[in-house]
Amino acid sequence: MAKPLPLEGIRVLDFTHIVAGPQCTRILGDLGAQIIKVEQGQAMDVTRSAALGGIGGIPGVNRSGMFEYFNRNKLSITINALMPAGLDLIKKLVSVSDIVIENFSSRVLERWGLSYEEQCELKPDIIYVSITGFGHIGRLRDYSTWGPTAQALSGLTYMSGLPDERPAGWGYSFLDHTAGYNAAIATLMAIHHRNRTGEGQWLDVSQVESGMVLTGPAVLDYTANGRPYRRPGNPMGNRSSHPRVAPHNAYRCAGEDEIVAGEPRQRWCVISIATEDDWQKFCKAIGSPAWTADARFATNADRVANEDELDRLIEEWTKDKMPHEVMHRLQSAGVAAGAVQTNEDKVVRDPQLRSREFIQKVPHREVEESFETDSLPFKFSHTEHRVRQGSPPLGSDTDFILTEVLGLSEGEIAEMAEQAVF
Amino acid sequence: MTITSNLESQPQALEDLVVIDLTDDKGMYMGKMMADMGARVTVVEPPSGHPARHIGPFYQDKPDPNNSLLFWYHNTNKESVTLDITTGRGAQILKEMVKKADVLLESFAPGYLDSLGLGYEELSGINPRLVMTSLTPFGQTGPYRDMKASDLVSMAMGGIMASCGYDHIEDAPPIASDGRMGYATGCNFGVMGTMTAVVYRDFTGQGQWVDVSIHEALSCTTEAAMPNWFFDRKVPIRQTGRHHGLTPTPSTQFTSSDGKLVNGFDIPPRSLDRWNRMVNWMDENEMAEGLKDEKYRELISQGVRSGPEMDFLRERIEDFIASQPADSSYHGGQQIRLAWAVIRSPEENLEDEHFRDDRGFFPEVEHPELGKSFAYPGHPAMFSKTPWRMRRRAPLLGEDNERVLSQEMGLSPSEMVLLRESRVI
Repeated sequence: MAKPLPLEGIRVLDFTHIVAGPQCTRILGDLGAQIIKVEQGQAMDVTRSAALGGIGGIPGVNRSGMFEYFNRNKLSITINALMPAGLDLIKKLVSVSDIVIENFSSRVLERWGLSYEEQCELKPDIIYVSITGFGHIGRLRDYSTWGPTAQALSGLTYMSGLPDERPAGWGYSFLDHTAGYNAAIATLMAIHHRNRTGEGQWLDVSQVESGMVLTGPAVLDYTANGRPYRRPGNPMGNRSSHPRVAPHNAYRCAGEDEIVAGEPRQRWCVISIATEDDWQKFCKAIGSPAWTADARFATNADRVANEDELDRLIEEWTKDKMPHEVMHRLQSAGVAAGAVQTNEDKVVRDPQLRSREFIQKVPHREVEESFETDSLPFKFSHTEHRVRQGSPPLGSDTDFILTEVLGLSEGEIAEMAEQAVF
Repeated sequence: MTITSNLESQPQALEDLVVIDLTDDKGMYMGKMMADMGARVTVVEPPSGHPARHIGPFYQDKPDPNNSLLFWYHNTNKESVTLDITTGRGAQILKEMVKKADVLLESFAPGYLDSLGLGYEELSGINPRLVMTSLTPFGQTGPYRDMKASDLVSMAMGGIMASCGYDHIEDAPPIASDGRMGYATGCNFGVMGTMTAVVYRDFTGQGQWVDVSIHEALSCTTEAAMPNWFFDRKVPIRQTGRHHGLTPTPSTQFTSSDGKLVNGFDIPPRSLDRWNRMVNWMDENEMAEGLKDEKYRELISQGVRSGPEMDFLRERIEDFIASQPADSSYHGGQQIRLAWAVIRSPEENLEDEHFRDDRGFFPEVEHPELGKSFAYPGHPAMFSKTPWRMRRRAPLLGEDNERVLSQEMGLSPSEMVLLRESRVI
């Protein structure tokens, strides 16, 4: 029997687009909240854009894989907010919602007459969540960010890279995800407060701050010790700075005969030794070659002092093995090691993700086919989360929302249709 | 509307919650997020000290259980009780604490608490309203559940590293960021799962067990990579400081006159309006020669993104960025609505007036035992009615033993001495 969905009965009015906002409402939707995604025909979520291609190579606003990935379980209504009747309709929806979430630039909802105070007039206990790069509060509220912008400012880009090279940074919008996670956390905390006190509130989430909170010890090393993170030799690539232990790195493995974007793809694994016991197990697992008994590697301090040579010798051992082979060989000896897994590896050769039903299938609402997707990374004993249906074709739930959610009459709907509200 | 943060008179969102924090260095960020929002979080740590107390960096570079900056940051607003839960009396005391707790957070290997008679079955029997959250590298079930991990291993297996690295350095390895980002991402989902269970308990009175997998937390935190496989069966390539891609894209890192890097975006600008403003901006610096040509305006309006003309424009903008300090490019770009940034090191935000002054992001946290206070990063969201707050620095080892164990739980003075002597507390 299906377990209950924990957020069943919570209604979210969703003005989000691209990744950071949709990430937040994707989570709330998986947990059972009803997500009403408001789009405009002319200003739809750009991840629907044909520029991103379409499933099966056929572009179309209802065929974007990226849109599908971030917007399953949601309902779509098209409303033209530039028309007074459109704004009236949006206000009706606010008055029956628990939560309003948006990631527009910081003045859009104010311009619509939907500042937090105005929302409260429509729904006194509304929880209003705004997600922007810099927050709505502060002198830089009008600055804009994409994931890489926020990563650069927060310090996260700088913290990722080889020593004395440019930063490698993040190869995607990690802070779009993370701002979405922080927004979901803040929303749940605010629901708890509302459950206790009946009081709603405004939550102002900043994407740059979502990165800054992940730099705490580096900031304290400066404020308490005066040591800047920007210094020669820092960061240390994949080596471990705290604690300073070795070996701890990524190592070349045997490559597959696979060509990506014209280049053969090198395969990698990581090995992470923390204690003397780990080291002994590691040496045994790789067959105790003579160099492992070398005085240069006798203690952790020795291994750290001779880390370049140590890493070179380890790579001699890994380079003719496949990454999963290295991982299983070392793991069966109790050593922390892992394959550098690609998206393909995670879906095709990761029995762990399969066994926990992290990879699920969902029928697409436009393309008559089911596609795999990933779900939430936790399991509950008494409730569950579910991928119940695919992402909504643009405006596909307009009638349902007008009649079932708002209880509007056919006449009222026809009148709005005539004014081209949808 | 303004949000005035940290007013002492304002309530906090989680001020009714009592949390027992048994996590190690993987999971301590969960309790911090809850403590900063007002929960009463008690770290229950072994008498030798929480594992993070033994990991640096250390205050004044002096290793000591009370000097770890890693521990300081992740344990703000918490209290500390030392308790050896592997002893019979220690386990009994923990069970007493569970009776009055709302949430228990832990990150031991799967099955470990069961082996001590402190698993969810046991604890929910004592307190059915308990929300227990278990954060582990791979989750409580499945063929990998007993595998060993570290932050690096999680970043590798979750697919983060496959997307992060270099394209301008030949044969460079995939890169995992410094700063324990794998654990942090696991903790973000850990708090989400915990708060979901708390909200469900608000509705129904029912507690539950939340099983959080760091591997899964990272596996869904790779943006386009998963849809690239699900819908196109393609594997993206790594590129220096910018998005992974199915095909290569131009560099976005630009050198400045002060040696710092600018993270550029949308170069040359796609919209004609921004292009015009870009040319004006360059013109004000006498660097727009030849760029006002109608030819470029036309190409940009047509949406052309590659070819010799675009390469030329990119080079000219690169020269422009190189001619001035990074901050001038950052603010100048933002003035014309280009989402440019300077690549900062974490401490360089301390002087940013927007975060420091307008948003109060860097509160001074007092360390009375040192007679000093230090600026700490705050919280990623401002709450208008229930602000986050830095009430207290991380606890010293066992700082709250007396108050919690003897004053609140009523352990006698003679038992306190006995427990101390037998290293149970």
